[in-house]
Amino acid sequence: MAFEITLPRLGWDMVEGSLADWLKKDGELVKAGEMLFTVEGDKAIQEIEALDSGYLKTLPDGPQKGEKVPVGTLLGYLVPEEELAEFQFPGQGLEPVPEQAVAQPAGLPLEKPAPAPVDDRKRRVYISPYARRLAQGLGVDWQGIHGSGKGGRIMALDVEQAALIKQKAAQPAAERHVITPLRKKIAEHMAYSAHTSAPVTLTTEVDATELVALRKALKEDSAITGQPAPSYNDLLAKLSCQALLEHPLINARIEGEEVVQMGTVNIAVAVDTERGLIVPVLKDVETKTLRQLARESAALIERTRSGSITYEELQGATFTITNLGMFEIDAFTPIIDLPQCSILGVGRIAPKQVVVDVETEKVAIRQCMILSLTFDHRLVDGAQAARFLQRVKRFIERPYLWMAG
Amino acid sequence: MPEEKNPDPALTKEQATGLLQTMLLIRYCEEQVVKSYARGDIPGGVHMYIGEEAVATGVCAHLRIDDAVFSTHRGHGHAIAKGMKPEKIIAEVMGKATGSSGGRGGSMHLFDPSVGFYGTSGIVGPSILLASGAGYAAQLAKNDRVGVAFFGDGGSNNGAFHEGLNMAGAWQLPVIFICENNMYATEVPFTYASKSPSIACRAQGYGMPGVEVDGNNVLAVYQAAGEAVSRARAGNGPTLIECHTYRTRAHSEGMRDTGYRTQDEVEAWKARDPIKWYKATLLADGTITQEEIDALEAAMQKTAEEAANFARKSPMPDPKTVTDYLFS
Amino acid sequence: MRELTFTDAAREGLAEEMARDDMIFVVGEGIGARGGNFNTTVGLYDLYGEKRLRDTPISERGFTGLCTGAAVLGARPVIDFMFLDFELDALGEIINQMSRLRWMSNGQVKVPIVLRGGVGLASTGPHHSANLFSIFMHLPGLHVVVPVFPADAKGLLKTSIRMDDPVIFLEHKKLMKLKGPVPDGEHLVPFGQASVVRQGKDLTIVGISFTVIEALNAANLLEKEGISAEVIDPRTLAPLDLATILESVSKTHRLLVVDEDFSPCGAGAEIAAQVMEQGFYELDAPVRRMNGAFVPGPYSPPLEAAVIPSAQGIAKAAQALMVE
Repeated sequence: MAFEITLPRLGWDMVEGSLADWLKKDGELVKAGEMLFTVEGDKAIQEIEALDSGYLKTLPDGPQKGEKVPVGTLLGYLVPEEELAEFQFPGQGLEPVPEQAVAQPAGLPLEKPAPAPVDDRKRRVYISPYARRLAQGLGVDWQGIHGSGKGGRIMALDVEQAALIKQKAAQPAAERHVITPLRKKIAEHMAYSAHTSAPVTLTTEVDATELVALRKALKEDSAITGQPAPSYNDLLAKLSCQALLEHPLINARIEGEEVVQMGTVNIAVAVDTERGLIVPVLKDVETKTLRQLARESAALIERTRSGSITYEELQGATFTITNLGMFEIDAFTPIIDLPQCSILGVGRIAPKQVVVDVETEKVAIRQCMILSLTFDHRLVDGAQAARFLQRVKRFIERPYLWMAG
Repeated sequence: MPEEKNPDPALTKEQATGLLQTMLLIRYCEEQVVKSYARGDIPGGVHMYIGEEAVATGVCAHLRIDDAVFSTHRGHGHAIAKGMKPEKIIAEVMGKATGSSGGRGGSMHLFDPSVGFYGTSGIVGPSILLASGAGYAAQLAKNDRVGVAFFGDGGSNNGAFHEGLNMAGAWQLPVIFICENNMYATEVPFTYASKSPSIACRAQGYGMPGVEVDGNNVLAVYQAAGEAVSRARAGNGPTLIECHTYRTRAHSEGMRDTGYRTQDEVEAWKARDPIKWYKATLLADGTITQEEIDALEAAMQKTAEEAANFARKSPMPDPKTVTDYLFS
Repeated sequence: MRELTFTDAAREGLAEEMARDDMIFVVGEGIGARGGNFNTTVGLYDLYGEKRLRDTPISERGFTGLCTGAAVLGARPVIDFMFLDFELDALGEIINQMSRLRWMSNGQVKVPIVLRGGVGLASTGPHHSANLFSIFMHLPGLHVVVPVFPADAKGLLKTSIRMDDPVIFLEHKKLMKLKGPVPDGEHLVPFGQASVVRQGKDLTIVGISFTVIEALNAANLLEKEGISAEVIDPRTLAPLDLATILESVSKTHRLLVVDEDFSPCGAGAEIAAQVMEQGFYELDAPVRRMNGAFVPGPYSPPLEAAVIPSAQGIAKAAQALMVE
């Protein structure tokens, strides 16, 4: 086997060199160990020994003297005697140097990096990574936030606060007014009543057909005479007054440790105004005719609505009537206007089918109305209040009864 | 120079021939490596054992598979003598996947525990400590394994030499320390590095026998090593053997051969080639015939060539394996 | 549960392992009949004798190389260096041989070996105070173990001895007399499992070795200021349980790493870098490191106090981190 003579590597980091000179002639017999050629490497010219024996055959188109070639480049052959005759240079050009595949360092497995948020660095604003992620999650534009961290860095805290402000801003603004003195007074008075009295509300349904007829008649008459017609409230005030005279305890009040029996009946009528609930007082109702009451109540209501009602005109009531019938209210639980004993709530008058005779199962359409009487159980017991209310009911059903006095 | 010893009459023909065979195999494999290096087949550096074959051969002839050998950077000879397959060595030197360490170590990191070869090494000195440790483990396990450390004249000046021999002596470890004194540590002469010309005499300082032999006389090495191994196996402690020998090639391939030494000196030692001497000796006393020698040479040459071809044809390692075996 | 000191707990673990496996042996200066400078082997010499409790000459490199060879050939050495500073003489053997033999031989050999050494400043001066965690953490092929509590000292030492690879086992001198509960029966602690020693929500403090104790003290101080600190003890630096630290940071968003070893390039730097890489989007402030001063360990107490991270110092750093 012919031995390949190649450019040797002198020094482990040598990659190229040149054949300086052959020390034997082409065709000459060389013995292993004899100096064969010289090589110029990085550092010096070195003599290279023959590693085998044979006849030297230098490559005809091989590297020239002084020509720089890579280490391992074929220079020639040492051919054993027996092969000399048939020896041929294989192909032409250089024998390919065996690939020195340098093992690439293995790609060490990298941990998967956390997904990055969108890069938007239009302005140089500093924000911590967590805060930026938080901002994205909360939908906050962090560019405008003032950071409280070092060097103005935006921190999570700043983002959270910005999100909170944004949330508040998104809610519709509520209107705000300062409480009016009147409202405040009403509020205090109502709360005082609820906490102090022992309110119980009785209700009863009343056949008001006769009352309706009476009212109608009075209206018709007023149209003729030009006198003011008594309203339902006026009528109710008059007949309540009569009932109060028969049940005087309902017309009393607690003052400190005393029960004070009032000497007269002053009835307050609740009036709804723009400014709130106002209750002007009809004084000495027992002394007044319906006509007088009609005149007085009209004047009081007018003054109340116009705001010219006086303090005295609001004082001294012993009983209150509050009518929500015009709002289609049937029954309710009115609050006692302390120190009064009770308050009568009046519902709407509406036609209803009513049993008029159980025996004959006679049914008729009657005008019905519900009365809601709230009384103070500290002063009056249930039966007493019920008797009073029953009397009021009777007077409504048969209005002429109270005319008797 | 110590006297040359005559062939030991206790050696059988098989044993005697075995010594020659091992030396030839080492020589031819090393020549293959030289050629491969010249062709550019070897990515790194190699340090040839050519000229020192008698030392590895004479020592390892006494070793069992379970005895542990720790070697140096110039260790192909030790590896082959201990029983490593040549193709695995040459493939490793070429950095191939079929090499004994999968290409990870190259010439200076050859390992094969299956034949008791625990590594060539790029650091000079530790082989002494590691071999002492192998001896310690044998003591713990209560068996008669021995540890063997090969190192050079350069290694004898390393701290590991002092600490290792001291402990081995103090604890009577079953170790044999083989110092291959080839007169040069890379290019620094031993006479420059040490005032005392003898390394063997240092043994006295550690309480163990120190023996000097002609390292190019395989029988002398065989004799001294045999005594040391027996001593160790018997639990009588370590031995230091200094083998005077010579490497006829440069420190590492590609480096200059002379300059720090003369060509005459090289030639003089070439004339004392251990293989040449042993062949002549065996022929002279009729142990072997020329035909047998020729046949043996042809066989070993073939083995070496086949090993080199195998290595050349082998693939490079898969980069994905580079992080394997960091931990158990 | 019974309470043992760190040293006694570790020794109990060593004793249990030595009883289990004849090939385990200890080498070091004074670890034989004397029982070790830090009482690491008291009582064991009487049980096992000189072959397994081997008093060595002052040859750190020598006996480290020797033990490496022994480990390769089937023994399981435990080297007791006494002080990490002494271990440094053996770095060549540790790095070039011990840590690499398995890899270099393509997995053909293994090196089951434990290297113990005392670390840290304790009025011990410039030659007896090394920490150097990052040097070992940096090297492929080594495990690095830094137990703090006695139960971990025992459990981790046992695991280290059973490992088939080299383990650097570092014991802080100030922890040696620390008492703590140690479970009865077999107790092994795996590597790569950090311990959250205190729960918190405002910031995470990772300590290393003794600074875990100081971090806990700091956390108590911080609580009074209304700052709730979570304290983590990594227990092993290689392998490092990053997952536990990341989980904590994703809760607190602030990290302070406290390491008695100096910076630059302390173990804390690696932890900080890894958290930055893998937990970037959880951070609301930069990761801060607190290290021992960049000088060797001084001897005189006020100098030492100025060098090492104290509970007050850690608390201050934590407070600064909260407003950063």
